[in-house]
Amino acid sequence: MAGYLLAIIQMVLALALAPMLVGLVRWLKARLQNRCGAPPWQPYFELRKLLGKEVVVSNNTSWLFRVTPYIVFGSAVTVTLLLPLITANQPLDRTGDMLTVVYLLLLGTFFLALAGLDPGTPFGGMGASREMTVAAIAEPTIALSIFGLAVAAGSTNLGQIVAQTLAEPAVLITPGHLLAFVALFIAALAETGRLPVDNPSTHLELTMIHEAMLLEYSGRYLALIEWGAWLKLLIFLSLLANLFVPWGVATTLSLPALVGGLAAWVVKLVVLGAAIALLETQIAKLRLFRVPELLAVSFLLALLAVTSSFLLR
Amino acid sequence: MNDTLFAQLSTLGASLVLLFGIILLWRRSLMAYVRAFQQQSAVLAALFVVVGYFGQAPELYVVAVILFALKVILIPRLLHRMQNQVGIGYEATPYLNVASSVIVAGLLVLLAYVLTRPVVLTSTLPTRGGLPLAVGLIFVGLFVIITRKKALAQVVGFLVLENGIALLAVLGTFGIPLIVELGVFLDLLMGFLVMQVFIYHIQDTFESLDVDRLSELKY
Repeated sequence: MAGYLLAIIQMVLALALAPMLVGLVRWLKARLQNRCGAPPWQPYFELRKLLGKEVVVSNNTSWLFRVTPYIVFGSAVTVTLLLPLITANQPLDRTGDMLTVVYLLLLGTFFLALAGLDPGTPFGGMGASREMTVAAIAEPTIALSIFGLAVAAGSTNLGQIVAQTLAEPAVLITPGHLLAFVALFIAALAETGRLPVDNPSTHLELTMIHEAMLLEYSGRYLALIEWGAWLKLLIFLSLLANLFVPWGVATTLSLPALVGGLAAWVVKLVVLGAAIALLETQIAKLRLFRVPELLAVSFLLALLAVTSSFLLR
Repeated sequence: MNDTLFAQLSTLGASLVLLFGIILLWRRSLMAYVRAFQQQSAVLAALFVVVGYFGQAPELYVVAVILFALKVILIPRLLHRMQNQVGIGYEATPYLNVASSVIVAGLLVLLAYVLTRPVVLTSTLPTRGGLPLAVGLIFVGLFVIITRKKALAQVVGFLVLENGIALLAVLGTFGIPLIVELGVFLDLLMGFLVMQVFIYHIQDTFESLDVDRLSELKY
């Protein structure tokens, strides 16, 4: 029972912390570029503002357009129930392994692309087509790189992978793990619409990928989609943090272990968020035609990771 | 414990060396090719030291120093000089585009895994995990040579191929005799200098390093 309660607490924490994480990345980026920047808690105000606004929907849209925000948000929230965020052994882990997580995330992307096409605006269609170009290579990369870890741990269950890695930390410097980390990091940047694949702060429609699909959304729909996208960033960073640097994740359900797990999770998120902010101030956006090449490299790394951890087992 | 650490470090080093070979396929500017080769050689030299330490083969330290001097300092410097004289170039249109060549490189490494599987299974060396990666690097080097059009890129491909052979030798035998190693280095340097002369000739005759134009009768 305590386990299910814990899963719910994890979900609530993830929901609450996701806007803060994005705000932190934006704030750090602004500070690194010698700007003052909005405070890290600014996204909460954005959410409140958007949730209070009226929804305007074009007459040309179908039911798809109205359902999508709930699917995007709902799938992201479901994923947070399945992840080992604070503790490695939570009961809901048994209801879905890494494949469920990867394809729940893809479900959101898929519906968002459909919703981008739905109103028939040129930018929406363009954004959807680009998003699919990216997702078509990024998604198998994510699955493969986690498979690399799953092969080493002997289970596709995320909690089990974390527990197994904690039991034998030597496995972390094997090439399989290092290659998988790089591959997952590149794919995570692509999936969450960060530089060098997509510029999250762009205001030019021609360069947009993720934003272009949201141009028609307003009010609470936009709030839900934005919140879902922020959750996705949190999910990917948590995956990177807890699968590859599993120290701190609670393996028992005692209170000190859980508090330690929470603290470790937050620290790891802050470090990864800072790494992203630093990276985004260092590099420019890639040309769109170079993006599939970068993703092909990350796919290759994931493939090599699986091969080497399979053969070195 | 010592053996497992050795096994992990050598496999890690071998994967890093292979990784730089793959970076080569992704990059376009010839400068980046040279830099990737330089970093690859530096990692390779470090790997020689690791194998020398764990495998109790002190002559590998000497080989590592020569390798560092030759492949990290001398040859990249010569390549840079060559580039400055022929103008900095880009591998704009390789025979196979970048995304597909990266995928093909992955298949080549898988092929190397399949081919070396009998050897890896019967071997008792702690370094056996790196053998397929070394063979994979040899394939990737060959692949660079046959798919790139610029003569300079092909030279770097040859050097990467040579790195792959050196990697295979050090992982498979813990160092061939020093005199053979020295012979290989001398051979490599000579080969490189001959290629350099050829490149200057190609540049003089065709005003381009594009090997496609070598097959044209008139220019």
